[in-house]
Amino acid sequence: MRKSIKKVMALSLAAVMAVSLAACGGSSAGGSGSGENSGGNSGGNTDASGASGASGDEKVELKFSWWGGDSRHEATEKAVAAFMAKYPNITVTTEYGAWSGWEEKQALNIMGGNAADVMQINWNWIESYSGNGTNFANLEDYSDVLDLTQFPSDSLELCKADGKLMAVPVALTGRLFYWNKTTFDEVGVAVPTDEASLFAAGEAFKAFNEDYYPLALGEYDRMIFLVYYLESVYGKPWVQDNQIQYTAEEITQGMEFIKKLEDGHVIPTLAVINGDMADSLDKNAKWIDGKYAGILEWDSSASKFEQAIKESTNKPGQEFVIGEFIKFGDHDGGFTKISMGLAVAATSAHPKEAAMLINFLLNDPEGVEICSTERGIPCSAAAVTVLNEKDLGNALVKEANAKVLNFSKFPLDTKFEHNDLKANPDGVYYKVFGKFSAGESDAAKAAEDLMKGINECLGN
Amino acid sequence: MKQKKSFSKVLTENIGFWFIVPWLIGFLCFKVYPFASSLYYSFTNYDLFTGISKHGMMNYQTIFTDEDILRAFKVTFKYAIFDVPLKLAFALFIAYILNFKLKGVNFFRTAYYIPSILGGSIAIAILWRAVFNTDGLINTVITAFGAEKINWMASANGALTVIVLLRVWQFGSAMVIFLAALKGVSEDLYEAASIDGAGKWTQFFKITVPLITPVIFYNLITQLCQAFQEFNGPFLVTKGGPNGATTLISILIYNNAFLRHKMGMASAQAWVLFVIVCVLTAVAFVSQKKWVYYSDEDGR
Repeated sequence: MRKSIKKVMALSLAAVMAVSLAACGGSSAGGSGSGENSGGNSGGNTDASGASGASGDEKVELKFSWWGGDSRHEATEKAVAAFMAKYPNITVTTEYGAWSGWEEKQALNIMGGNAADVMQINWNWIESYSGNGTNFANLEDYSDVLDLTQFPSDSLELCKADGKLMAVPVALTGRLFYWNKTTFDEVGVAVPTDEASLFAAGEAFKAFNEDYYPLALGEYDRMIFLVYYLESVYGKPWVQDNQIQYTAEEITQGMEFIKKLEDGHVIPTLAVINGDMADSLDKNAKWIDGKYAGILEWDSSASKFEQAIKESTNKPGQEFVIGEFIKFGDHDGGFTKISMGLAVAATSAHPKEAAMLINFLLNDPEGVEICSTERGIPCSAAAVTVLNEKDLGNALVKEANAKVLNFSKFPLDTKFEHNDLKANPDGVYYKVFGKFSAGESDAAKAAEDLMKGINECLGN
Repeated sequence: MKQKKSFSKVLTENIGFWFIVPWLIGFLCFKVYPFASSLYYSFTNYDLFTGISKHGMMNYQTIFTDEDILRAFKVTFKYAIFDVPLKLAFALFIAYILNFKLKGVNFFRTAYYIPSILGGSIAIAILWRAVFNTDGLINTVITAFGAEKINWMASANGALTVIVLLRVWQFGSAMVIFLAALKGVSEDLYEAASIDGAGKWTQFFKITVPLITPVIFYNLITQLCQAFQEFNGPFLVTKGGPNGATTLISILIYNNAFLRHKMGMASAQAWVLFVIVCVLTAVAFVSQKKWVYYSDEDGR
């Protein structure tokens, strides 16, 4: 009897474990199943808006995900709390983290149908992950709760896939030169404003200390610089209608200019930058201590570079200034892009309430005041009014944003930031500029490889 | 009554099987199924977002013709060739020393094992960068003696050295296994050898090494498998650079799978890696007849 009890118990235990394992597998399969249904649901989602849960008593639970730094997390958490206080029937759970690894995780969530209801997305995610308009809700369907009239129509157009509005643009951004004026003063040379003063700075820095450079550019920075240089010289966009607008000779000339910058001690070679073994330039000890005295950076990201040199342990309080656009030709080079957007997952059970959260963050004076310029200078006209009226936001970010939007007018191709090109270490940009800087390829070969890689990515 | 008896018999006879059923289900779902499906995907152009539109050998053709992928395989081989022998030699050397009756030996055993517990974490990556960057600990020491700074990331060999040393430094687990094996070698053999006039080195190479060859073989196989699958070190410390010098095949698999969502290509690369590891393991198993001593099999 005792034996059989033991057997029954053992079998029960085994059965429970087996069922629990099977249940794990089952829920996973169910998850992907619901993802597959999402396309169908998005049509049905419109009736979810009809439920008007926010105005009623229906309890609604939303999930909101974003990446960023600590100050963005703090501000967004506060804004979410304010949103929940305004709409007591809506509960928002948050998921946030640093950029590193974020895209991989979110891409799998989108694919698996587990994406957060409201997602902060990179602009190129619309191209990469929207599934041609099926993976995110069409926000035009929720224009009754999300005031789209506050956003420039051309920016909204850039957020469409298959004619559906996949995201609302949060901010526009572009790259500018920023300088560590303290280092330039120490070296005894003026901050560069044109090509001649840039090379003069290179010579002065070399004479001062071989470890000092007026400008530091990583692989991807070099690609953006190349485009800026070529647009400045030739006045053509980089890619248009899915075609590179430059000849091999023109790109070769751009590559030669980058080599000239290295040879002139204006920028360190990539071997030097890689030798610093820093995660990114803002975390590089040589930037923090003023040995690298210039960057070409997005206006929305500049504050972390400023903070790094101001809070340097070895050299605190260094002065961070916005530079002039250096013109290498007759044209105003450079481009602006949508820095990020807020999207609603097509699988969301409450897309209307999700759209309300977006509206609160981007258009509502209370949400705008809390988020301020944590995601750059807002695209929303209502938000800009609030920021101006209350004199909110980082003055440096505001100045830089206004400057770059006025200067850089070239369009950016949606595939410019494609992972086939931008991935480290095997993306085209990394391979081409790495080999070129190491002397493994000359300017002509680098131009040829760059064109080949980009054309493959463009599907030509 | 008869039916009950046969049910009971079935239970009794298969009780072991029922106990492993939960594990078996997990094994089938989470090991066998992904394993088999990855083989299928390797013959497709499976993209996570666009699905499968093509079947064939195209991924394998690309693997054996693409310069960058071939280079990644070469780098992986180079990494394993340096990493495995160095790690085994270092682990055995330290284990041999720690096998002596030294004062505070338990402390040293723990101290040497700690790096293995830390594994390939972010903290270790930061530590390694702090040690090897151009203004790091090593260069500080070097320049204090008047030598020139070394930019480890300026050359392919320098960068590879950095990630090989990271793994060699984590020799603790192999060391513990060696230590256990060394404890198993009879003291009588050393005493007899000493009486015959054999020195420490002779004892080591003529007694210790032959008697622990099964453990050396075990460590060789496990370290070989780990070396070919290494990911954390190059991903966190050198990011595969400079110019692909530390881009092991595992990094390409990761990028294809999770950055580009090209699961077909990632599966094919993983399968080629799997076959390589299988072949090398098979070679090692065949070669063991020549050099591994099993005392229960009448010698070799």
